[in-house]
Amino acid sequence: MHTYEIFLKKDGRDEYRHAGALDAATDDLAMVMARESYIRRAEGDRLWLVRRDHVIVADPDLIAPNADKPHRHHDGSAVAARRKAMRNEGASS
Amino acid sequence: MTRTWADMAAFESFLDDGGIVEVDDHMPDEYRQAVFAFIEMHANSELMGGLTERDWIPRTPGLRHKMSVLAKTQDEIGHGHLLYMVAADMQIKTREEMLEDLFAGKSRFHNVFHYQAVTWGDQVAIAFLVDAAALASQQAVFKNCSYGPYRRILKRIISEEGFHMRLGEDRMMRIAQGTDTQKEIFQGALDRWFWPALQLFGPDSKPDDVLLRWHIKSERNEVLRDKWVQKFVPMLQSYGFTVPAPDLSYDEEAGKWDVGPIDWEPLKRTLAQGGPDSARRINEAKDNWERTRWVRDAMDRAATVPA
Ligand SMILES: [Fe+2]
Ligand SMILES: [Fe+2]
Repeated sequence: MHTYEIFLKKDGRDEYRHAGALDAATDDLAMVMARESYIRRAEGDRLWLVRRDHVIVADPDLIAPNADKPHRHHDGSAVAARRKAMRNEGASS
Repeated sequence: MTRTWADMAAFESFLDDGGIVEVDDHMPDEYRQAVFAFIEMHANSELMGGLTERDWIPRTPGLRHKMSVLAKTQDEIGHGHLLYMVAADMQIKTREEMLEDLFAGKSRFHNVFHYQAVTWGDQVAIAFLVDAAALASQQAVFKNCSYGPYRRILKRIISEEGFHMRLGEDRMMRIAQGTDTQKEIFQGALDRWFWPALQLFGPDSKPDDVLLRWHIKSERNEVLRDKWVQKFVPMLQSYGFTVPAPDLSYDEEAGKWDVGPIDWEPLKRTLAQGGPDSARRINEAKDNWERTRWVRDAMDRAATVPA
């Protein structure tokens, strides 16, 4: 018996999404079970199965540093403020 | 593996801020136990409900209804499947252990599955009243559920319960426009199922209910129950049926129905596996599990055959 993670994709619009998991003895049986458990009403037109023991999980410490990289973002507020200031200067002169 | 909390206070403030717990987080043990027990009971109920539904496949009148009962059976068993997976991933009991406990009468399932569905009218009443009650409780859990895997699976389950409720209403409307005998059959079913369906919501929530505090439930039992009453009492009456509540009254000023005092003894009996049909149901589920063992064995053998 293996545990499989189920990924579904619909309509070409969205990305593959994790839908859940199931246990099955073989890849083929897992495919049939996934069809009957997760897409009975065509909730997806593409289906990926990944064996859970094949998933490589990141160590949180590896990912954590990237939560603190403000220089990689720009929310536009500084630009908007500067633009507004320049416009006001232009109007007053 | 992922997140840890210094103590319960830190964990609770994480939950209060809308935090979502994932399966590999170091959640407090009390939380893990409480959430697991809740999901296990839900899973058991889906399986027991699916088996009742299955009993009706050969007896369902007409091909159209028969096909919809087939689909509903598959949905309920499917819900059980998804929920047992989510529950087993919490690593308290394996799926086999959960099933063993269910068949040994050691774990709970919802009160409504401790009764027998006697006529096709009962099936209609179940689909309409019970699926609606189950749907309302599940929606209230989904709304703000702090346990991520359960919340995501509930989304799928809820959309399918909606089909069941609408099928129930469709069938009920046909009966309401049917012969006197059909109406009598449905009224009889209503007399049997109104109270168990209402009791599905449970007695008033206790002030210290951890499921509310930890954002599994988002609404108190009595509030959900009252919403169900306000919706279904007038609806059943408008279709020409009698609500089997002798003390039923309507408060003109508040614009609200009151079903009178609720006897919780029947609910308590079902929770102790002493409902009218508990023993037969549990044995039947167990026998079914044994009868289908060869399918599971064949699947396991398939795994050992080289491709
Ligand atoms: Fe269900
Ligand atoms: Fe259902």
